[in-house]
Amino acid sequence: MSALRITVNGREHVLSAPPETTLLALLREHLGLTGAKLGCDVGDCGACTVLVDGQAVNACLMLAAQADGRSVLTIEGLATPDGLHPLQEAFERHAALQCGFCGPGAILSAKALLDANPAPTGAEIRDALAGNLCRCTGYTKMITAVHAAAQALRGAGAEMPPLGLTASPSIPLPGGEKGGGLS
Amino acid sequence: MVLDISRAADMRGIAATADGLRIGALVTHSELVRSPLVREFAPVLAEAARTIGAVQTRNLGTLGGNLATGVPSMDSGPALLALEARVTVAGPRGTRTLALGDFFVGPRRTALATDELLVDVVVPAASLGKPASFLKFGLRKGQALALVNVAAAVRVDPDRRAFVAPRIALGAVAPTVIRAPQAEAFLEGRPPTSEAMAEAGRIAATEARPISDFRASADYRRELVSVLARRALAAACARAQGAQ
Repeated sequence: MSALRITVNGREHVLSAPPETTLLALLREHLGLTGAKLGCDVGDCGACTVLVDGQAVNACLMLAAQADGRSVLTIEGLATPDGLHPLQEAFERHAALQCGFCGPGAILSAKALLDANPAPTGAEIRDALAGNLCRCTGYTKMITAVHAAAQALRGAGAEMPPLGLTASPSIPLPGGEKGGGLS
Repeated sequence: MVLDISRAADMRGIAATADGLRIGALVTHSELVRSPLVREFAPVLAEAARTIGAVQTRNLGTLGGNLATGVPSMDSGPALLALEARVTVAGPRGTRTLALGDFFVGPRRTALATDELLVDVVVPAASLGKPASFLKFGLRKGQALALVNVAAAVRVDPDRRAFVAPRIALGAVAPTVIRAPQAEAFLEGRPPTSEAMAEAGRIAATEARPISDFRASADYRRELVSVLARRALAAACARAQGAQ
């Protein structure tokens, strides 16, 4: 058994797990955090994406022991009691998800991008999401949602960067803009 | 048994040394893309690293891991072969240094003995800052394996207006990543004209030994070599002349 000390969503856990346990299995089966999904299990689909020390990784390809001493963020740690994270809000407002299986991974990939690059171009967003496969909604609305979340995070009224070739303009929603008031 | 080496400190890090640019085997592809030293002295390696997998893959995957797979379609191999990189291998019998070309033995086979580790990669001082270009052709932009990838590194003598030490490396078209020595010999000392670079591309295509598989036919891959080698040479040449 490997003895592990891992911070998950801000809370430290002291655990022991068989050495072959992946980070994904640790999160889902030992900690009950089922937001990260088991999709392909070979690092292609990105449904298991979580952030380890701020970097997007495929949790199916990382052993739990490799996360010892590190800080892991899963989709469960993104919202606060006060509300959704601006990325979650934007994905909802722009209908960027249908079945939702790829959502936790796509949103965390987008978070890693925006943490490093608050005003990404369409090409940069596409590159950041290239490892998160979606089989129902498609990617255009996700790209729009990431642009919108970036704008919300920079503060309402910031200039929207030019959309990339495959990004469609966002559709105005009833109730007008609601970008402000988010942490 | 699984032995995790990902925190072995002396296999990490990128440093400029008297021998050249030393890159630890555990440096990730993301670290290569961001490294100021790589971007200044061997930017072609950052160009190749940027095309590997997706962000998640680049954050966990390492340069040493990529090379040690011995997979002919790897992306860091051609870039490093064009820069004539060396690798350091360590084991119970001590440490040895090999030219990267000798490290690749066959498909998924390297010169590593079962008890040896790839420790680092050194881009030799003579290749630092050498104008170079990496091109990859896949079936899509994201997360694609190369059907063919090509790296070219050249110097251009401004007085003689001639290629000096042109190097061309090809991926996914032979049992290992390979150089194209006949195309290189053709270009050596020749004026950097578009005709010469097109002919070098055609020669490189004859040096490739591709297979047909479900991704592409051998003929298609040879044609890609011809086109990508010409374009990589032209891009490297433009950088060489821009630097003068």
